[in-house]
Amino acid sequence: MVATTDTVARNEWVPCGWLGQIAIGTNLDTMIFGQPIRVARIAQDDYRVVELSDAGTEGRSLPVQTRYNCIFTTLGEPTRALPEISEFDEPDRRIVGCGSVGVSTCPYRLIENFLDLAHLCFIHKDILGDPEKSEVLAYKTEHRKDADEIWAVDCSFYQPAASKASTSGQMTKYIYRVMSPFSVMLYKTVNSDPSRNDAICVFIQPIGETQCLAYMPMALVDDVSTDGDIIEFQQSIFLQDRVILENQRPALLPLDPTYELPTRADASSIAYRRWLKAMNIQFGILEKQAA
Amino acid sequence: MTITLYDYTLSGSCYKVRLLLRFLGLAYERQQIDFFPGRQHKSLEFLEINPLGQLPALRDGTLMLRDAQAILCHLANTYDTSGQWLPRDERFGEVMMWVMFAGGELMNSSAARLHDALGYKLDIEAARANAHAALRVLEDHMTGREIAGRKWIVGGAPTIADIACFPYIALSGDGGIGHEDYPALRNWMRDFRRLDGFHAMPGVAEFV
Amino acid sequence: MGIEHNQWRGIGLDRQVQPASSNPVIVNGEMLAMWRGENGPVRVWEDRCPHRGMRLSFGFVRGDSLRCIYHGWAYRTDGQCVEIPAHPDLTPPKTICAASYPAETRYGIVWTNLERAAPSPLPDLGPEDGWEPVRSLYVNGSAAQVEAAIEAFDFGAPSMVRLKHANAIALGIGVELELLIALQPVADNRIGLHVVARGASTPETRASLARRLQRLRTEIEMAQEKK
Repeated sequence: MVATTDTVARNEWVPCGWLGQIAIGTNLDTMIFGQPIRVARIAQDDYRVVELSDAGTEGRSLPVQTRYNCIFTTLGEPTRALPEISEFDEPDRRIVGCGSVGVSTCPYRLIENFLDLAHLCFIHKDILGDPEKSEVLAYKTEHRKDADEIWAVDCSFYQPAASKASTSGQMTKYIYRVMSPFSVMLYKTVNSDPSRNDAICVFIQPIGETQCLAYMPMALVDDVSTDGDIIEFQQSIFLQDRVILENQRPALLPLDPTYELPTRADASSIAYRRWLKAMNIQFGILEKQAA
Repeated sequence: MTITLYDYTLSGSCYKVRLLLRFLGLAYERQQIDFFPGRQHKSLEFLEINPLGQLPALRDGTLMLRDAQAILCHLANTYDTSGQWLPRDERFGEVMMWVMFAGGELMNSSAARLHDALGYKLDIEAARANAHAALRVLEDHMTGREIAGRKWIVGGAPTIADIACFPYIALSGDGGIGHEDYPALRNWMRDFRRLDGFHAMPGVAEFV
Repeated sequence: MGIEHNQWRGIGLDRQVQPASSNPVIVNGEMLAMWRGENGPVRVWEDRCPHRGMRLSFGFVRGDSLRCIYHGWAYRTDGQCVEIPAHPDLTPPKTICAASYPAETRYGIVWTNLERAAPSPLPDLGPEDGWEPVRSLYVNGSAAQVEAAIEAFDFGAPSMVRLKHANAIALGIGVELELLIALQPVADNRIGLHVVARGASTPETRASLARRLQRLRTEIEMAQEKK
């Protein structure tokens, strides 16, 4: 695999491991954007990332940040900081990571799947949706120019068992937030306290154009479920989606709006694709746009 | 007697046991094991339950069992009064042959899935090739069964051979092993998913 | 493209395509969905939902509609989308239409042609009556290797090639048996064989032929491995 030359992609922060994955004094060899890298854990909270040559020799050092249960790095010079997600700093929150899961598709298909309300009642039947209540009500999308993020607000959907802590069906309210081409999150009504939101993130490590690792850190208001329960719930949802993601054709994302035909329910996907097109990102895109 | 299943939702092997428990209408307690990322199946506590550090395990009263195939045999032997799931006649040997196949050659499909989804380090090309070879063996068998006007792996009704083989054939796509070359297996899987009491797991389609 | 593109290829056995089923098929790297409603003939479509690209071979059938598994969009047999569950009151626009390929069922075999606009007629491979399905099987080997192996294979009685077409071979075996083998190029080194027989009226004869074909597959692949 060849490292991408797409500077738009190279300038983003992406995850390259989860906290706890690497024992102190050991390394994890992995890849971002086709570039082999080595993630070394020097001490408890001290990680170093370097590029690896094809022969496996260590090269240039890369910047490192640890947050949201993940180790982040970048190949370029990020203009965008890691997102601020204040829920992760609230003292009574449960912070749960779910490891990472491999998916063979482009990173953007994962982001779009996470933003998608209409699939919940088919792919997550009896949990996040009911095929008899499949309607997606109108919601708003915004490009927040200050932070350069895409938001979808006023989303609501009927859910039979919205979270591990749910005991009955409910209209769940969602707010979606795309923080970068490779990261997305949602705020979702807390079962026990409607004034607060659970925060559920997906950060994508793009290994190659159609090969990803997905990390799903969460900051939840839930003092009932065990970590194991929460992880299993989230992994089950993700493995239901994974079959879809690996069987979308083409695996690269088409940005031509006539290639895949959206409806009103896809407003967030439409906004996301427009945003990707406007930033002229090349990596993982079907149409090789003019540079 | 209380039955306890040491279970991980995403495990195809645990799913075999859950399927039979449901088909037999048996109540059980579920002890959830954080297989990934927690590796709880390798914890000191779990190694006392199963020294092989593998899921599933099942406690039935004072009996502690490991190995999905052995557990299927035990449950059918003990609780299936109809004798359908584990026939004690001339079909017994053939049922056991395919049950062993499910715990043997077919586990290459599980290995490919662990590699692709959870990042296990193993020879993925070999795992996929061996999985395809296993799927082909059952495809050939089920082709013959179709010609004979039969739906199931052995006999005229589903047995634990069908249950044992179903998960890692249905989940093979998770490890990059497609169903394009297996028309008889596709028909058999569809029939299996239409059984009363069938339920899906993540990676197996809900709608038939 | 061109001549190569406009060809009829067998892709499955009609009797093996269950009612209310959708199935994945690959022809020369093109991904197709071969599906049948609760009634009616087999259809062959591009294996891609026009909405978000999900493979329609993963879909499910209700009545005479194929539904995409991802969002439940329903497509009529002519490809037109007729229902979008996210918008129950919406009549889907005409532009939302699954791409279909020509599909014919003859000799018990389902045939398709990747040329959508102006396919040539399905070639005449002889009388249509009396064919019984034997089996489909997939072999690692080139089309040339597979054809040569079929011609040289010991079917258990003296065999003779009766007819050779671009993607099909008809053989006479002994005095009573005829085989028609349709070849499906999956990739350069992978071929699907769809086999029907005439004169094999009992299931035992067909089962015995099906096993014989496994042996043919093994021969082809063993010869490959030696190289």
